[in-house]
Amino acid sequence: MPLKIETRLGRIRIERRIGYSKLYSISMTLFSLALAFLVISMILASLGLDTIQAFLVIFGIFVKPSLLLESVKQSIPICLAALGLSIAFKMNFWNIGAEGQIYMGMIASTGIVLLHEYYGLFHAWAVMPLMLLASFLLGGAWCLIAGALKARLGVNEILPTLMLNYVAILVVEFLVHGPWRDPKGYGFPLSTPFPKYAKLNLVLGEPAYTGLLLSTLGAAAVFFLLEYTRPGFEIKVVGQNPSVARYAGIKVRRTILLGSFLSGGLAGIGGLSIVSGIIGRLRPGASPGYGYTAIIVAALAGLNPWLVMAASIFFGGLLTAGGVLQMSMGIPKAAVQMIQAVIFLMILVGEFVKRYRIVFEKPRASAS
Amino acid sequence: MERLVELRGIVKRFPGVAANDGVDFELRCGEVHALLGENGAGKTTLVNILYGLYKPDEGEIYVRGRKVELKSPKDAISLGIGMVHQNFKLVESHTVLENIILGLKEDGLKIDFERHRGRIIKLAEKYGWRIDPGARIWQLSAGEKQQVELLKILYRGAEILILDEPTSVLTHQETRRLFEALRRMAREGKGIIFITHKLNEVMEVSDRVTVMRKGRVIITKETRETTKAELANYMIGRPVVFSQRKVSAQPGATVLKIVDLKVSGDRGYPAVNGVSLEVERGEILGIAGVSGNGQVELAEAIAGLRKPLAGRILLNGADVTGMDAGRMIEFGVAYIPPEGNKLGIVPEFRVVDNLFLKAYRYPPYSNKLLLNWGKMLEKARELVKEFGVVTPSVFSKARSLSGGNIQRLILARELSGIVGGTPRLIVATYPTKGLDVGAAEFVHDLLLRYKEMGSGIIFISEDLEELLLLSDRIAVMSGGRIRGVLTRGEADAEKIGLLMSEAAPQAG
Repeated sequence: MPLKIETRLGRIRIERRIGYSKLYSISMTLFSLALAFLVISMILASLGLDTIQAFLVIFGIFVKPSLLLESVKQSIPICLAALGLSIAFKMNFWNIGAEGQIYMGMIASTGIVLLHEYYGLFHAWAVMPLMLLASFLLGGAWCLIAGALKARLGVNEILPTLMLNYVAILVVEFLVHGPWRDPKGYGFPLSTPFPKYAKLNLVLGEPAYTGLLLSTLGAAAVFFLLEYTRPGFEIKVVGQNPSVARYAGIKVRRTILLGSFLSGGLAGIGGLSIVSGIIGRLRPGASPGYGYTAIIVAALAGLNPWLVMAASIFFGGLLTAGGVLQMSMGIPKAAVQMIQAVIFLMILVGEFVKRYRIVFEKPRASAS
Repeated sequence: MERLVELRGIVKRFPGVAANDGVDFELRCGEVHALLGENGAGKTTLVNILYGLYKPDEGEIYVRGRKVELKSPKDAISLGIGMVHQNFKLVESHTVLENIILGLKEDGLKIDFERHRGRIIKLAEKYGWRIDPGARIWQLSAGEKQQVELLKILYRGAEILILDEPTSVLTHQETRRLFEALRRMAREGKGIIFITHKLNEVMEVSDRVTVMRKGRVIITKETRETTKAELANYMIGRPVVFSQRKVSAQPGATVLKIVDLKVSGDRGYPAVNGVSLEVERGEILGIAGVSGNGQVELAEAIAGLRKPLAGRILLNGADVTGMDAGRMIEFGVAYIPPEGNKLGIVPEFRVVDNLFLKAYRYPPYSNKLLLNWGKMLEKARELVKEFGVVTPSVFSKARSLSGGNIQRLILARELSGIVGGTPRLIVATYPTKGLDVGAAEFVHDLLLRYKEMGSGIIFISEDLEELLLLSDRIAVMSGGRIRGVLTRGEADAEKIGLLMSEAAPQAG
């Protein structure tokens, strides 16, 4: 049903667009970006800052190779987490705990590194595969808690996934302040720096390339899962209507368990990409909210794995631009966050306008 | 006679279809004008245009001879047009009085409830309705709710009344009373547009009838100058045979045996309370009864969707009590759910996905992990053709199909044997409800064909006519129990009605 708002000046009606062209979609996105930059320049001008210089910095991100690489690097955890969320959202499972699942992935990765460093339980070449496996399993298990609660007891997943974020963040705090603190770290709450074989440098020795390979594989896997496999089909049916799924003989509980596990697992690998690709060790606050950005990315990309990749790189660029603006121009952190928020907001509004049409009607006096 | 409404050359296109393709229609003072057609013929679109819900792409609308442009239902209401939708639009927790005066602008800030109450009672009495303005909507029966809807529009002074399939929710007696009221309104000079796909009702209540098919008007005629057969012919575009079918019962091995089954309903208490039944190969067992007496719960228990509280279910001699839907499917149980458009399909999925909603997990359509889309698409195209599902392609979304085509899609999935061959047992719950004559006839033919192929069939329906037509035996259900089983020879409407009313549950 279209939403209608009556005003003194006439009627405003919001209705769903039945179909729209690709061209319209793209030009709308560009338009909302342009609008975002207009608002940003107003903010910058009001702060007495050099607007043109700031824009050169922002657009420079996508031109200067070193910054582009940095953006790609930043995009990896967002992309992997958003791919996981795409699975969960297809299943109508509102996992908003990617952030916590990312932290659990970081813990698992760091744990494997420490096991090797202190106990030498396995060969150096086995460390990276084991990190991948462990971060996937632990991230998955973290989401599975909410999945199991939903499947067994019918508990809504939103609160458990959200609250477990804080638990995961505090577990990391505990570890780096306590048992996992680097003995040579002058008492700072940091883990031991990762050795070379525990870093994402498989491709050309560069984390961004290796990470890009990882997220491409992830996107391909999610696409394949949802389009060409039995569990993927089941996940989609459960997401559309659990009663119909039951009627079709699909094991709904098992599907929820599997889907939530896979979703958290991908976010867990996202956590790995942070500790071994971006930071190189475990520390508190290692994720500046990648898991939350991933929710926006998954939604903007319409849960399409390939679009998730593209959107992640864009948002990675925004994060990078924020850092550069802060350092090179001395723009306060809060202003940088405002800039990022304006861009988020404009894109979201643009997406809304794409999907819905707002109709203004003349006052009723003219009606026959 | 004065013309109340005239529609000229109405065209309304939706993506892919012209729902109305140059429609001319006329409503006179003092007539009940039936608008007849199959599902998807464009009847509802046409009246929605007259009610201001849709804007026509082409064409003109005249009300009392004056050309008008309807931008919203408000414009329509101010011209004295009122509509009763198929699904009631009432606030359940409010009283009758509150619902009727909701949105009226004549009062200022203070509403004079007493004045309204008196006027509403008087208005209701005029049509032979006894209604308590203080009653809450949720306390009313479907028939009474409909009276409230009618009062709502009459109270606003409507002269042109549109009723969209008004009898689909009514009992036989309620339908009678509605028709009496409609005749009275017509005598007062009001014009009534009565949408239906039931031929009996057209013959019974209307003065004139307009038949629509595929978005066009086929003919408008005086009702007394036409016959049911002729109208059916116009409606479907080919002759329909109304004769009795020859059905020969061939007793065979027992397919389904139910012993003292108890099943709990949604509200907790047992909805099925000690039912024992047997169905043989090649037999159609009809289950008669007013809906809501445990039929759906019984069907769901057999389909594995509801765990029985007690009792046993035997399929081909094997005890399958309490097994889940997946196992029942593997045992060869086909289940045609009630309200197929809700439970039977995923509207956002494509036709091919919906056809393989169950078979996707069995070879050759998949192995342990991977789906074989090539095989599925190939088979889906065959099924669409075989079961006559009208769809632009197997990639179209199921929600774009009409009700009849959705039912065909469900039948193709359940009966075609893409899961483990011809079904051993078919449980069909209200398979023709809401379908037009042509589609219902297709369902009947299909059930008879599978009967001949040896499937045992449980056929749950409210429609005695079709039960008597198809069933070898009829079990009458009420209050969660079987009140009696009649064989083909001895069953008639009267006996069934008598068994139904025996120990019927308290209405309330």
